[in-house]
Amino acid sequence: MNHNAPVIQTENLSKVYQSRKASVRALDHLNLSVQQGEIFGYLGPNGAGKTTTIRLLLDLIRPTEGRARLFGQDAQANSVEIHKRIGFLPGELNLWKNLTGAQIVDTIGRIRGGVNTAYVHQLTERLSLDTSIRFRSYSTGNKRKLGLVLALMSQPDLLILDEPSSGLDPLMQQTFNELMLEAQKEGRTVFLSSHVLSEVQAICDRVGILRGGQLKAVERVSDITHTDFRWVTLRLREAVTPAQLAGVPGVSDVSQTDEGLRLRLIGDFDPLLRRIGDFYVQDIKVQEPSLEEIFLTFYDNHGQPEDETARVGVTA
Amino acid sequence: MSGTIFMETLRRNWRTAVYWGVGIASYAVLIILLIPNVDVLKSYADLVSKMPAGMLKMFGASDASSIASPEGFLGFGFFSYTVLMLAVYAVVGGLGITANEEDQGILDVVLSLPVPRWRIIVERLAAYTLFVIVIVVLCFVGLWLGVQFTASNPDAPFKIDVAKLLQGSFNLLPGTLLMLVFTAFIAAVVRRKGVATGIVSLVIIASYLLNFLGGSAKDTLAGQLSRFSLFSYIDSANVMKNGLAWGNILLLLVLTAVLWIGSVWFFQRRDVGV
Repeated sequence: MNHNAPVIQTENLSKVYQSRKASVRALDHLNLSVQQGEIFGYLGPNGAGKTTTIRLLLDLIRPTEGRARLFGQDAQANSVEIHKRIGFLPGELNLWKNLTGAQIVDTIGRIRGGVNTAYVHQLTERLSLDTSIRFRSYSTGNKRKLGLVLALMSQPDLLILDEPSSGLDPLMQQTFNELMLEAQKEGRTVFLSSHVLSEVQAICDRVGILRGGQLKAVERVSDITHTDFRWVTLRLREAVTPAQLAGVPGVSDVSQTDEGLRLRLIGDFDPLLRRIGDFYVQDIKVQEPSLEEIFLTFYDNHGQPEDETARVGVTA
Repeated sequence: MSGTIFMETLRRNWRTAVYWGVGIASYAVLIILLIPNVDVLKSYADLVSKMPAGMLKMFGASDASSIASPEGFLGFGFFSYTVLMLAVYAVVGGLGITANEEDQGILDVVLSLPVPRWRIIVERLAAYTLFVIVIVVLCFVGLWLGVQFTASNPDAPFKIDVAKLLQGSFNLLPGTLLMLVFTAFIAAVVRRKGVATGIVSLVIIASYLLNFLGGSAKDTLAGQLSRFSLFSYIDSANVMKNGLAWGNILLLLVLTAVLWIGSVWFFQRRDVGV
């Protein structure tokens, strides 16, 4: 085992699902690397290949091409050793309906080789989970909480979480964020898929953006949020139409709003300031784009990355 | 930890196995209590003799007189039906090896734990094998209890050989185990629970019908094909009269072992839960 190896590393990892009618390339030559102690957000719309990636990492499905290594070991050949160090939360948690939360924790704990009951108690307290209820009676949110307890209870080196916060209320979302940041402080690694961008923005160090089975970009969250794409709102005393700002370099998506003219600006302010120099400027508001807006630029109406985001290379 | 899957399977399913065992044992007691005396059996045989010979053979009875003995009656009225009941248990149990949990998405969680895939199959099949043994033992206990009840009845002057009851009960084991492992094998290969259930049900029903129809007309195509029927090797109706067919038992056990290995082989290599 290589102790300096990335916690997750994939090389041309691909998966094609074959059916009688068609073959679907769910994942296309994924090259990704996640280092120890990172919280890595894996973003993409439904069907992008996020869950397929997770299932490949866990050796639930086998790659058509390429390979995945976790902790420097082959995900398939060394799955048992690897799984000792992994906590997993599936996107849709289904467990034995007749068992209570406590019985499920006990069952999973036995299979794992033991349960740290004090830590489990601490987790259930923090997540406000009643484990005396049968699984079939749990609400969606409580199922999610139980799933988190099961994933976290062995204090694994790597947490693989598929849409972890879906169904959690805002308070529990906050607790979840705290738990992830605590895990990170302890040197553990988190790989979470999500389409809840606020969650990714709040806790992730880096994000990978997946679409159509292809990794479109991997960036540090801080870098992406400091991109030179901004929303600018101009309040001018004179009536200015959006057409009057047409052709200004870097300006696009100009629209008239109640607050004034709203536009998207890429690059320097100077060309815009020169164009509006003849008008009396009452106010200029500059708003950083949210990660969601950055994310959406990868998926314009035609599903193609736009110019300013296309330059964000795959750096994993 | 080695054996944890086995223990968990026992822990979660032992009640169901006991219910099945007690149910079949109760049926055994009831059937033996229904054999009040030799005269009634003879009347029953007279009634059955009016059935067409072919139909009698369909049900596994060589002739009406064979039913007139307690052993023949038990073979005809108990073991030939019990093997069908156990077939249902075997299919239900076989689906419990991987198909149910895979269908519900539970297997994703189980296989994310440090457990090799082969252990899921091997330990669960071992647990269900133990359940089948328990059910068969309870079945024998039911028959034995029935014999004890009738022994105290002065109107039941005949004796049923307990060794033969033991043979009849033991004879249920290999066929049931084969159906259990066959179900697990099909589920390991085809992945979808619905498809697996359909294939297994079709094979077992076809096998039963082949034996049923083939038994009435040995010279027909159905008769010739009946040697491919699992039930012709179990031959539950005649075991008490003819004794155990060790060749058949060995064949069924070898097939069981081959399918057991096949289940592991296929399950190790395929995608799970897609």
